[in-house]
Amino acid sequence: MADVALSRLFFDIQRPEAAAAYRADPEGVRARYGLSPKALAALAADDVAAIAPVVNAYLLRYYFQVRGLTDAEFIARLNAPPLTEVLDG
Amino acid sequence: MAEFAGSFAASHGPLIARDWAKLTPEIRARLQAGFDQVAERIVAARPDILLIVSPDHWVNFFITNLPAFCLGIGATHKGPPEPFLADFPHKTIQGHPAFARHLLNHAFADGFDPSLSHELVLDHGFCIPLLRMGLDPLPAIVPLVINDLEPPMPSIKRCLQWGGLIRRAIADFPGTARIAVLGTGGLSHSIGETTMGIVDEKFDHECIAQLRSGDMDGFATWAEAALLRTGNGAHEIRDWAVAHGAAGGVGFELLAYAPTPEVYVGCAFAHWS
Repeated sequence: MADVALSRLFFDIQRPEAAAAYRADPEGVRARYGLSPKALAALAADDVAAIAPVVNAYLLRYYFQVRGLTDAEFIARLNAPPLTEVLDG
Repeated sequence: MAEFAGSFAASHGPLIARDWAKLTPEIRARLQAGFDQVAERIVAARPDILLIVSPDHWVNFFITNLPAFCLGIGATHKGPPEPFLADFPHKTIQGHPAFARHLLNHAFADGFDPSLSHELVLDHGFCIPLLRMGLDPLPAIVPLVINDLEPPMPSIKRCLQWGGLIRRAIADFPGTARIAVLGTGGLSHSIGETTMGIVDEKFDHECIAQLRSGDMDGFATWAEAALLRTGNGAHEIRDWAVAHGAAGGVGFELLAYAPTPEVYVGCAFAHWS
């Protein structure tokens, strides 16, 4: 099951201006999306593995590119044990 | 009446643009040779209209409104929004509303019921092949978006049937236009999954063999099973299936195969003559 709110955040910040705003104030932008406490915790930890089950894989990659992860870092975190509670939508 | 000018296919992938300068000269040459071969065949086919089949990579659509198929019927389409395609030479891409409408009418008459858009944004799936092929001038582009990204996706059988539908629509489109089909994407790749970066050459070779066989039912059966065992990017072979169906499942010729982990894609290039 998709986490629609989280997916919406990932979708929106594909736009360069939205990505810049997110980089400048991630907590402030997240607060506008009605995200669950588990989602907020996973985002704060850049916990790729915990988020992966509830967001389309392409959007997941885009989001962590905006976060500044290299592809190698992203793949490593995707394959690592989750740091926070795994999201279940 | 209009004339079918052939089916073509070429891979796409963001790194084929974003990381182009970082690739070794050998890799660039190998990939460019594939695009060049497709370009040469397309130029020789002299299409007035090029129907391009690609997924939308979360540019036009989101999970709140996600069509299985969407036909771009606008007079123009917008160029790619991705920053790594800022140098793409066409900010606006000429469409062909008359043929797109004709195809749309055929689709509804035949029970296909696609979505439609008067103004699609064409992302890297459409534009990387155009960029690398360097077609100048561009033929009019009619985009067909297939959901290759988010399950449930259209069946391979349905995509093959879309190819047949396109062929029938071409056959009774008034005028003398030459119309070709270009499927983009594939073959194997994995994006945002634990297997990201792995190219599944076994899948790719099997896919190529199935396309060569001319057995469309066999290809559909194989693909539905094989897609469960490989990376998510391989779902883009639906776009090849449309091209295959338009060609009646015959005449497949592999122009080049370049498994390229550096761009995460089992790149392939084909022409159905």
